[in-house]
Amino acid sequence: MLRPPYEIVLKPYGKALVELARERTDIICLSGDLTRQTETDLFRDALPDRFINVGMAEANMIGIAGGLARAGHTVFVNTFGVFCTRRCYDQVAMAIAYPNLDVKIVGFMPGLSSPGGPSHQAIDDVALMRALPNMTVVDLADAVEISQAVRAVVERRGPVYLRLKRGEIPVVSEASRRFSLHEAQVAKKGREACIVASGMMVPAALVAADVLDANGVSTCVINSPVIKPLDAATIVAAARGARAVVTAENHSVIGGLGSAVAEALAEAGVGVPLRRIGVADVFAESGSREYLFDRYNLGVQNIVDAAWITIAPTKPVPAAPAMPLTAGTYAPV
Amino acid sequence: MQKRARLNGKSPGGCGDGRLRAGAPAPVRVGDLARLATRIRLHAVHMVGIQGFGYLGQALSAAEIFAALYGGGLMRPGWDRFCLSPAHYAVVHYAAAAEVGLLHPEALKSYGRDGTELEAISTERTPLLDLTCGSLAQVISGAIGFALASRYAKDDRRVFALLSDGEMEEGQTWEAAMFAAHHALDRLAVVIDANNSQVDGQVNSVTTLEPLADKWRAFGWRALEVDGHDADALVASMQSTASERKPLVVIGRTQILGGLKSVPATADGHFLKLDPALKAAVIAELEARLA
Ligand SMILES: Cc1ncc(C[n+]2csc(CCOP(=O)(O)OP(=O)(O)O)c2C)c(N)n1
Repeated sequence: MLRPPYEIVLKPYGKALVELARERTDIICLSGDLTRQTETDLFRDALPDRFINVGMAEANMIGIAGGLARAGHTVFVNTFGVFCTRRCYDQVAMAIAYPNLDVKIVGFMPGLSSPGGPSHQAIDDVALMRALPNMTVVDLADAVEISQAVRAVVERRGPVYLRLKRGEIPVVSEASRRFSLHEAQVAKKGREACIVASGMMVPAALVAADVLDANGVSTCVINSPVIKPLDAATIVAAARGARAVVTAENHSVIGGLGSAVAEALAEAGVGVPLRRIGVADVFAESGSREYLFDRYNLGVQNIVDAAWITIAPTKPVPAAPAMPLTAGTYAPV
Repeated sequence: MQKRARLNGKSPGGCGDGRLRAGAPAPVRVGDLARLATRIRLHAVHMVGIQGFGYLGQALSAAEIFAALYGGGLMRPGWDRFCLSPAHYAVVHYAAAAEVGLLHPEALKSYGRDGTELEAISTERTPLLDLTCGSLAQVISGAIGFALASRYAKDDRRVFALLSDGEMEEGQTWEAAMFAAHHALDRLAVVIDANNSQVDGQVNSVTTLEPLADKWRAFGWRALEVDGHDADALVASMQSTASERKPLVVIGRTQILGGLKSVPATADGHFLKLDPALKAAVIAELEARLA
């Protein structure tokens, strides 16, 4: 995978969905009064007959999606992550997950990437969706993966929760990357420390691994966009023999990637110390991504610290490089 | 962390948070409510102008509603409840609170910035509100809770809740409406900023809310429709009484751009872009009204 600063792409999801829907006439696109914000203005303008703005009525939107799917449609539901998970959880469970329907729920603005405060910050969406039987859970913030994931989630029958970054989408993967719903990606090899990351935390994980490597701790990075079903085999293989495993997610440390990895390692009998980087079981506040990621310990330095303190507690922790944000590019905090 | 907003010597309880004080102090009464509304808009232009975009349309459409609520002698500070349902309307709340002396005007400069207490979408940390929630259409239920609590306490507090029209699309609004009427919560007054605007454009292009007043009446409410840019009419309707014990809804018909001539009619009122030229033009138009 590439290193920052990253080139930025706009609307990779919106474009991929339109392209696929031209082929797959069973696809219907629903929006909950957040059409431009969810990149589905492209769908609305290109395929207006198959676009429906349900308005600000998320529970109703989920129920409508269920009915359409029972009648044979593949339905994409688009809104912010908080509003398609927390706000209508029972509807998602009963109208979509239980009947195992072809509804792809697309939730934008993950974790602390929203300036809108706790009502807009999806810090529990992965946990909620992961707890539902039949649900596949995918956390993406890379334009290359997003373009491919749209087709992949349609080809996988049944409900999917697709968690997407909103706005400027960085190109983190090489063009040769092949996204898979079954396999996590070993993005960088290493033996002593193992970082498992998803979504917006992948760039920070890569930089942190480089810092650790440069300071004598050989570190691997597993990019695990699919949180359920987790590719436990790849993660367990990388963790076995390491002296520290660090998970990094833009989500609560409870119930998301960190929890999934902990379960996988424990069940495989891998007794390596695990540190979870994520939102520490608190509601945050308003603020820019840079401000909030720094304030809530979602930065490169936090990942470096977690690995270093576990492996070399007596030695001073190496400092992460500053990540200047230049206009038109993306970098981790 | 930036400094906390200064509150002009008043506790964050202010006109909301009745838990802090007993008794019923006199409400704030401002002589010229139209002028107050213009000053609220001016504050909002300056606040949103710092970033160059934001929730300005909400202040342009709801300035008279807030002038009526905060300066119209309706709410007894620290006693009556004020619930702000659409949290992105926080800008109008801050501007109005500053105008009636509940918030230091200097604090407005921190609006929407990292570390501020004056968040663009109001939260549990927001000063001077009894209730707010950025996940829309939840607050009306909490307002009902306050009205029930007043009934248990046998006090005479009124509960005011500002709602936006987009919120009428959520089912929770109507669950609450049915309940409040069934329980004859006549101390509850809902004010709707019916500006026909939501994120994706005009509300009536997304869904049909009308006939709005008839819907509320059918749910058992006393519904009044007024020009939402006439602050005195808003005050009168919120002060009006009736023999029947029903909750009151005042539907304020407004324009998202507040009828400003300097803003192009095609502008996205929900999230207004305010470049320096437009900002200057809007300020000039508003200042001319005050001259
Ligand atoms: C439950 C919920 N769904 C979606 C949103 C996203 N959202 C924020 S404001 C808004 C439009 C609300 O309509 P309204 O308040 O009438 O808009 P305005 O008058 O400010 O243009 C939407 C859909 C939200 N905050 N809460």
